[in-house]
Amino acid sequence: MNNIAKLLKGEIQRSIKYKILPISLLTSVIWVIIFLLISADEAKSIAPLFLFTDVALMSIILVGSSYYLEKQEGTINSVFMLPIKLNEILIAKFISSMFLAFESVIIIAVSLYLIHGVYFNYFLLLFYVIVSAMAHTAMGLSLALYAKDFNSLLGLLFTFMLIFTLPTIFYSLSLISENFEVFLFLSPSHCANLLMNYAISSKPIDWKVVLSVVYQLFIAFGLFKYVIYPKFKTNTVRG
Amino acid sequence: MQNAFTIEDLSYRYPSKDTDVIKGITFNVKQGEIFGFLGPSGAGKSTTQKLMIKLLNDYRGNIKYFDRDLKKINESYYEEIGVGFEMPVHFGKLTGLENMKYFSSFYKNKADIKNLMEKVGLWEFRDVLVSQYSKGMKVRLNFVRAMLNNPRVLFLDEVTNGLDPKNAMIIKKMIYEFKKDGGTVFLTTHLMNDVEQLCDQVAFCVDGKLYEIATPRDLKLKYGKKEVTVEYHENNNILTRDFELNDLGFNDDFQTLLKSNRLETIHSGETTMEDIFIKVTGEVIHE
Repeated sequence: MNNIAKLLKGEIQRSIKYKILPISLLTSVIWVIIFLLISADEAKSIAPLFLFTDVALMSIILVGSSYYLEKQEGTINSVFMLPIKLNEILIAKFISSMFLAFESVIIIAVSLYLIHGVYFNYFLLLFYVIVSAMAHTAMGLSLALYAKDFNSLLGLLFTFMLIFTLPTIFYSLSLISENFEVFLFLSPSHCANLLMNYAISSKPIDWKVVLSVVYQLFIAFGLFKYVIYPKFKTNTVRG
Repeated sequence: MQNAFTIEDLSYRYPSKDTDVIKGITFNVKQGEIFGFLGPSGAGKSTTQKLMIKLLNDYRGNIKYFDRDLKKINESYYEEIGVGFEMPVHFGKLTGLENMKYFSSFYKNKADIKNLMEKVGLWEFRDVLVSQYSKGMKVRLNFVRAMLNNPRVLFLDEVTNGLDPKNAMIIKKMIYEFKKDGGTVFLTTHLMNDVEQLCDQVAFCVDGKLYEIATPRDLKLKYGKKEVTVEYHENNNILTRDFELNDLGFNDDFQTLLKSNRLETIHSGETTMEDIFIKVTGEVIHE
């Protein structure tokens, strides 16, 4: 087994022991119960919001919190003392963050099909989920690296949500006019939400999808190269 | 004997600070020796260790590991060194054995986990969650973690801090055995008892500079009080008198005292490492 696989196995094992995976499963079960109580059309319109919550919102919160937990337990120092590359540590963190998103996507997709007979292009959804989870994991890790302590991280996450996530949710609920959507493309949350919408409603790919994918990939790779990789070890060790 | 580490004019400044934390220090750690790195809190001990274990980079000066530039050695370095942190470094929701198996799985050269855990008295607690371990048990598990890859060099930070005398002795015995098998140890501590019992050479670090590098014996000779204290009976009282150690055999007063009084005790004025620590670090701080 290579190092990434070993790290990933450890991350997933810990997500079970630390009750992160069971809680994520429980959230998905709540979505399924809601699907059981509503019509197919209502399910199709609300499912992207559930996906957005699990893929984007949960990625950013969980990766930041788990980083702080590892820092608090000191385990990250022990991991640095292993004969593995920093790249491998970070890639494993990204994949494990996506693992929780996949778990949620699978449950939502299967329940939509079984309960309401709704199906869509699953490969396209998978691609959108990977892109959105990557961008939001990168943002979560970057915020955690710049946070002075856990309270400061919570403050940064709250600010992020206030600026980016809340307008996205308002837009989804038609509380913000479509005329302002162009400004919302600055928000990675909006891009993720748009991709989930397009995947579930099987809308054809247009410039909005391309822009959302490119923008999120730009965020993910940009933050990885210029923030996470160069700062991860130094900022973690500094305390 | 070859140098395990050759440190030349090492300086380091944290990115957010205006001044250097480490200020041009130079020292060697010989292969097979136990090197004690001592100093008060905030002296730069931990930073020096972080530089030597590649947790921090961007230093000035040179660190050579067995004559190789440390900056040019990749992650394979961690196959050869073991690091025992002072703070707990284990997953609390995993058992002691699960933690050890996880970390061990990354090494090519794997030590016998059962043997190590048995030696430090943790094998019977292998299936207990680390979060339920006492402080002393966590310290012992840290030591096992450091030994998982049969390291060539061991870095230990306050290795017996928080241990009861029995367990502290077990760990010290294991360190001594490690040394006997050819291992090199870099020991950071403020526990002078450990230093006296273990170290072949010690260095005092104060405010990012080194002030003394010598063997504990040489330090004692340098800083020791060269005198003898005698407690003796006189007129139903116990009195004390000090004599110069030099030319004691020719000291008439001492000879007379021995002949004419009943002695209670007689001690050479040996200075402890604790006294030397306070003297060296105190002197420097108040300069």
